[in-house]
Amino acid sequence: MILFSAPACDKCTYIKKNFNLKELGIRVEELTEDNPEGLALLAWHGLVKRVEEGLPILVVEKEKLVIRGQENIVKYLERKKRDAN
Amino acid sequence: MGEVLELKPMKLFDTKDTTDLAVFVRTSDEELVTWNRQKIVDALVRETFLDKGTAELISEEVEKIILKSGITVLTAPLIRELVDAKLIEKGLEKARRMHTRLGMPLYDVEQLIVYPNKENANVPHGPEATNLTLAENIKKEYALLNVFSQDVSDAHMKGDIHLHDLGFIDRPYCSGQSLEYIKKFGLSLPNSLAIAKPAKHPEVLLAHMVKFAAALQSNFAGAIGWDAVNLFFAPYLEGLSKKDLKQLAQMLIFEFSQQAVARGGQAIFSDINLYWEVPKHFEDVPAIGPGGEYTGKTYGEYSKTAKEFVKALFEVYMEGDGCGRPFFFPKPLVHITEKFWNEEDSEEFLNLICDVACEKGNTYFVFDRGNTAKISECCRLSFKLEKSDFEDAKQPWKMRYSAIQNVTINLPRIAYEAKGDDIKLFSLLSERIELAVKAHIQKKMFLEKLLSQGEKGPLALLTMNKDGQPYLRMHRVSYLIGMVGLNELVQYHLGQEMHESEFAIKFGLKVIAHMKLLCDKFSKMHNMHFVLEQTPAESTAYRFARLDLKHFSEKAGRIVKGDITKGEIYYTNSTYLNVSHPINPIDRIRIEGLFHPLIEAGSLTHIWLGEKRPDTRAMANFVKKIFHLTENDQVAFSPEFTTCLDCKKTMRGLLESCSYCGSERIEGMTRITGYFTRISSWNKGKLGELRDRFRSKDYF
Repeated sequence: MILFSAPACDKCTYIKKNFNLKELGIRVEELTEDNPEGLALLAWHGLVKRVEEGLPILVVEKEKLVIRGQENIVKYLERKKRDAN
Repeated sequence: MGEVLELKPMKLFDTKDTTDLAVFVRTSDEELVTWNRQKIVDALVRETFLDKGTAELISEEVEKIILKSGITVLTAPLIRELVDAKLIEKGLEKARRMHTRLGMPLYDVEQLIVYPNKENANVPHGPEATNLTLAENIKKEYALLNVFSQDVSDAHMKGDIHLHDLGFIDRPYCSGQSLEYIKKFGLSLPNSLAIAKPAKHPEVLLAHMVKFAAALQSNFAGAIGWDAVNLFFAPYLEGLSKKDLKQLAQMLIFEFSQQAVARGGQAIFSDINLYWEVPKHFEDVPAIGPGGEYTGKTYGEYSKTAKEFVKALFEVYMEGDGCGRPFFFPKPLVHITEKFWNEEDSEEFLNLICDVACEKGNTYFVFDRGNTAKISECCRLSFKLEKSDFEDAKQPWKMRYSAIQNVTINLPRIAYEAKGDDIKLFSLLSERIELAVKAHIQKKMFLEKLLSQGEKGPLALLTMNKDGQPYLRMHRVSYLIGMVGLNELVQYHLGQEMHESEFAIKFGLKVIAHMKLLCDKFSKMHNMHFVLEQTPAESTAYRFARLDLKHFSEKAGRIVKGDITKGEIYYTNSTYLNVSHPINPIDRIRIEGLFHPLIEAGSLTHIWLGEKRPDTRAMANFVKKIFHLTENDQVAFSPEFTTCLDCKKTMRGLLESCSYCGSERIEGMTRITGYFTRISSWNKGKLGELRDRFRSKDYF
């Protein structure tokens, strides 16, 4: 799973603070000016234009899911956490 | 050139009394003058800032050479060469550069006048074309010596980068504008012999549009694009019968197709942007109509008429020209937005434009997803409208955009130099982009120097000010960075072409992402708008391949595409997959479309059709899929045709002889990079690519 995030994104910060993303198997890609790999991955998933509508975006490759918006991502991650426990 | 006259060397070393020398020189002003050593001194002081003493010394030494050598042919260029030789001898290289003469050898001029030049497939061979080529050659030399710094010029000459349109160094690249400008202000151009008030009739508006396009073409190196043409014509078309609408549509298309007045006698490279629905940003804008007066309605209320006109245009495209051939210009770019799918009769219109795409290949499908809006020109250049542009949309005559220059990076060469090292590869890529940025800054400075002369200067049309801003709005221009051969870079670096694995595509995406982020960084740093563009690369893909075969022969020999034995070699254009790869067209569109969102200034995917005529409904369904299931920005479908020069019939496919009369006097045509043209005018690289193109014959 990949969480696309940006440094100045408060909603992204909320998710990073409130969930142990590493434990959940989520890799964070910070979309900064020196991370072409992150941008390339975003493009691979066809999400470059989606970013204009806002971050964060969670990509669940195995389930072929793209989850946008803090609320939706939080719901998903809480479920994941429950399932893991 | 100078005339041969007898040199009578009397008083050989008495340089104070050279009037005794019966020597005449024909100057570049076409005058026959007596020998005067002082002219050398004056030129050196004026052109190179050398001190008078040094100039006198050099002139005396040159005079001695002339007298001593027994030269029997004395011309102004020869004198200049002798002076330059002296400057080199004395280590005065900077002065020599400033004193150098630009031009071409006699032999080369003869070749140009007699034989066609295939650098630009759009330029027919003829006196205007040779004038263009000769002038371009001088301006190219001037640009490389005097506009760009040595490191930039050398990088271009070596083939690390390509500076496009050097022969048009004193112009911006492409432009996009609105009919509203001439609707509101009429046709009043600097240096014009007559001024016209705003048009009252649609035919006159059309005449103004064509003339303005021709005037603009002489001030831009590339394409002239027009926004929302069917919509902005609509206030002039109310009440016209279908027959009259069709007549006007025919006039528009034929006028732009047949004007052989642009640079070198070619047709105006024109694009018309068309909409079925009224774009959101124009819905509530007050409409300008006959006489340049507001009609009292908004453009949203002209939807029906605008639709009738765009249908009429496509009916004309469907018929083709007098021989049934597709029209080369103006290129119709149909913008499909989210709103399109909910518009009344959009299905019927989609079928019509797909029918034209299948039959003639004209239609360019531009996908404006989400809130994106674009004006397109050239084969793929587009300007994404920002927030401030939507403000300008309330006064659409202000919507004028331009790209100043395109600089393209030779990607495969970076791979050869990196020798498999990722860090080195990205470091070299960064260096090349930095060089491209430097080139842009230098071109900007040069252009600003010309623009600063205002309406009395060489770019008077671009400085004309009718709405509080110069016509060329420098605060809204873009500076393009293009790329050629991403596929070959990946192939050399990873050992796989992009179509061969996901890993290869992802690496290609990383390269382009790296370029994009650098563009953003340099844009902030220099307060200039650097953006990536898929270079059309009509000749650049061939040029880079040739140069790499020369300088990196062992590596490039394994990588260049085409037929090396015939010299028909090329690199895959921009971010395309290998053109010969037999891939399902939806996959090609989907994969190539992954790159498009990173390339802000425009991208295009070609689907080559060959001779097969696809099913229209299948094509329409295909276009729907592209919009909803991919990120692809723009698609063009390209059939191939042959026209018989004897019986004038046109057939599908590229044939050896006419299937109607059997004549072998035939002409093939198809899309070269972003426009239709005759294959006989294509350069070798493009011919090689044509042979390799995979035709998606069986998918529709």
